[in-house]
Amino acid sequence: MSSWFDYTVNGLIIGNIYALLAVGLALIFGVSRLINFAHGSVYVVGAYAGFLAVTQFGTPLPLTIVIVVAVGALLGLAIERFGLRPLQGYAHIAPLLATIGISFVLDQLVQLTFSPDPRALPSELLQKRFQIGSGTIGALDILIAAIGIGSAGLLYYFLRFTRLGWAVRATAQDRDAAQQMGVDVDAVNRTVFAIASALGAVSGLLVGMYYNYIDPSMSFQATLKGVVAQVVGGVGNVPGAIAGSMLLGLVESYGIALFGTSYRNLFAFILLIVVLVLRPNGLFASRRQTPPEPMTGTFIAPSKPVQISPRTLLAIALAAALLPLVLPNPYVLQTLTNAWLYGLLGLSLTLIAGTVGLISLGHAALLAIGGYASALLSLDLGMPVGLSILLAGVIAAALGTLLVFPSFRLRGHYLSIATLAIGEIVSLVILNWDSLTRGPIGVSGIPPLSLFGFELDTDRSVYWFALGVLVVLAALQFRLLRSHLGRTLRAMRDDDIAARSYGIGLDRYKALAFAVGSFAAGVSGGITAHLYSYINHETFNSQLSILALTIVILGGMGNVTGAILGSVLLVGLPEVFRVAAEYRVLIYGIVLLLLVRFRPQGLLGTV
Amino acid sequence: MLAHRRLVFAAIALLPLSIMPAGAQTGPAKGEPIYLGVSGPLTGPNAQYGAQWKQGFDLALDEINGSGGIKGRPLAYIFEDTQSDPRQSVAVAQKFVADKRIVAELGDFSSPASMAASPIYQRAKLVQFGFTNSHPDFTKGGDYMWSNSVSQADEQPLSAAFAVKRLGLKRIAVLHLNTDWGRTSKDIFVKAAKEYGAEVVATEGYLPDEKDFRSTIVRVRDAKPDGVMLISYYSDAALIARQLQQAGLKLPIVAASSVYSPKLIELGGDAVEGIFTASRYFPEDPRPEVRDFVAKFKAKYNKEPDAFNAYAYDTMILMAQVMRESGIDRQAIHDGLSKVKDVPSVIFGKATFDPKTRRVAGAMSVDLVVKDGKFTIYQGGPVVR
Repeated sequence: MSSWFDYTVNGLIIGNIYALLAVGLALIFGVSRLINFAHGSVYVVGAYAGFLAVTQFGTPLPLTIVIVVAVGALLGLAIERFGLRPLQGYAHIAPLLATIGISFVLDQLVQLTFSPDPRALPSELLQKRFQIGSGTIGALDILIAAIGIGSAGLLYYFLRFTRLGWAVRATAQDRDAAQQMGVDVDAVNRTVFAIASALGAVSGLLVGMYYNYIDPSMSFQATLKGVVAQVVGGVGNVPGAIAGSMLLGLVESYGIALFGTSYRNLFAFILLIVVLVLRPNGLFASRRQTPPEPMTGTFIAPSKPVQISPRTLLAIALAAALLPLVLPNPYVLQTLTNAWLYGLLGLSLTLIAGTVGLISLGHAALLAIGGYASALLSLDLGMPVGLSILLAGVIAAALGTLLVFPSFRLRGHYLSIATLAIGEIVSLVILNWDSLTRGPIGVSGIPPLSLFGFELDTDRSVYWFALGVLVVLAALQFRLLRSHLGRTLRAMRDDDIAARSYGIGLDRYKALAFAVGSFAAGVSGGITAHLYSYINHETFNSQLSILALTIVILGGMGNVTGAILGSVLLVGLPEVFRVAAEYRVLIYGIVLLLLVRFRPQGLLGTV
Repeated sequence: MLAHRRLVFAAIALLPLSIMPAGAQTGPAKGEPIYLGVSGPLTGPNAQYGAQWKQGFDLALDEINGSGGIKGRPLAYIFEDTQSDPRQSVAVAQKFVADKRIVAELGDFSSPASMAASPIYQRAKLVQFGFTNSHPDFTKGGDYMWSNSVSQADEQPLSAAFAVKRLGLKRIAVLHLNTDWGRTSKDIFVKAAKEYGAEVVATEGYLPDEKDFRSTIVRVRDAKPDGVMLISYYSDAALIARQLQQAGLKLPIVAASSVYSPKLIELGGDAVEGIFTASRYFPEDPRPEVRDFVAKFKAKYNKEPDAFNAYAYDTMILMAQVMRESGIDRQAIHDGLSKVKDVPSVIFGKATFDPKTRRVAGAMSVDLVVKDGKFTIYQGGPVVR
């Protein structure tokens, strides 16, 4: 029995840490309807600012906190001013992407300045510990809780009783109306970003001290857990975010208690999905709250697509097919083969996200399902490779649609978060389902690509195979977009209420589109597995999902040619920037930001 | 580490996309350098390991090129960043394969990235030398896949013997990284520990980016072990040790040799005091190659080397030896690896490959304990913390 008490205390302590992150995310979402993917990076910057202050200047804790608050607030102001304000009036997807770009830039700057080595962040002051149950809690735990609750209290006071606080709440409720009533919306945004980022930075400092450990790559996990916690509590709801964090901490702790450590995150994400499906506004949303904004339509920038005649496309496809004969450079061919494979992923997501409007942040899961399916079918059942890839597409379509089906009632950000969680769940199941997937050891010795008994063992033949599959699936998708079905899907994206009143069964059509899209992703994953000969749960990681989304947005949502162009550019650009070595990801982030700023509808425009 | 990078400007007419090699270094040896390709992480979550490799490589190159290089020509490397991402490691593999100056390849870091590139190296008959690839299937990719990474089948029985026979642990709780390395190591350790007569009362796998172990520790405590085995890297081992201390659990801790790093003590503070581990080498080790390595490393970087520095250093020295003996073209290096004998090595004492497994057996092992904030040789004595 005493163990359960300990698990509870541990869950609350870790929830406490999540809360610091979730509160900042909730504030920003409340005002600007934006999931700030750069929040984890602010947290990292805060930790390193504290590290610098403590180790270089020997500042005492209160002063360190003040410095970190200042750094965080300034950083928040800068993000708002230079990253997000120029994007006002753009579709919702633009600032979301911008925060992803900003997080790349910030993480890389920290890594270049401080080296990727982990550092110790000592805090001599706070070594005192108190006995609770059979464990102990430290002074730092109490400080973290105090700062979490204290800042929530201050926020409550600020939002309730100050003019600027009223302005913040008015802006959160209805941005346009607030502006018309004379609220300086920009000032509100600035304030919120400063406050939230200061909180984020302080949490970085405190968590760093708590573990005596900081490193530049801890930002993604921080963002992820913060987002989960605040969605569980109800997006944009500050007290809800705190409660959601505690619940998340408890669920993780009990999950470990019941099933073991490697299941921890599985429970976190399952909790998220359950909450999203049953109570999409979060567990602690008040009844009176307006339903989540229908993001479809407003989420994606409408624009006129660049017209490319079928003749030109055919010529380009032909040129691509002839390339290996003209330029037999294996490095170029490999890079382009990668681009064709990611083009398949792009086709898949551009249909699902662009044409139907379901912005998926977990698309790598479909690659993983396809990859494992084809690898295991050919290895364990001895199926010929061509057939196993085809079946991998079918399995990805079936399994993917089944997994995402309960989430179809969600919209906009909510659906994105659900897909993010599904992506993580798939990866964790692959890791833990040893008997089928071989767990962390991965699947090795996957047979090479072959077709009708002929082994594709040259760079050229692999290139042609990938290109051929891409061209066929792209042509089918063109056909689909022009058909009655394609028009129906776009109608759902642009106005789902109108579409429903025309008698369109939304869920069925969404499922249909998702299945078609997942097929392409599954095939891509299958080919990749045979190309690599070895895969494990990390081969198709969550960064790939972000890459897929970037490909689609870069090319233009729903745009088939755009998806392929996007993948050629995004696979090619890092190769071009190779010369820049350590600075490469930094440049990539900056290019992404510029793109979002100056061409938000994508290079070829939305279809 | 940036300060140690010099760019070599060389014209490459081959590729429209590629421009110039980064991270190559030249020394007093004269003439056109001989290039090794390195595929590894310089950015992304594993960037720290790429940075450690470079330190080890650069130190070895100073030594090699200072003493005439390879038959008078300097040895250099071209480091291509892959972020340990298979998508990039296959492109880099094609690049190295097509670059006729590259005579052998070193890396990549993670198993997915390394093994995805193996078919390309194998097809092109370019040696892929995976010096941190302990995945049991890595060298099974083909006869051009070689590794001097310490095999877990060698190391873990030693750890088990240390824990069971020398320290007398009877009920062991194992915490391991849930990666291919951690899992393989755990399986071998558990088997060996049982053979030596101990009981393994709990095994807990955790993800590499995990920071909170409080609830895991409650689980461990409830299994009533008399000792904890950590199959971890230094960063997670430090986190776990601190949280064990905070939970008031005073158990002897044995850790895999991968925790041997000054960072363990920096990050763990007094919580890592009394941790037992084994190491492949030890600064006070009387072997000349170790003394030499540690002294030079300290002089160049003003800090203690860790295991990854040593792997990289050893590898560069080994490749130089192979090239001196067998020649500097791709095939000669492949053939030379099976012939080379007793290369002085920090990790192995003397390294010789088994041509069948293409691995090196018999890593050195010193039993250590952390005492007064330093790794010291364990002389026996009380095991209680």
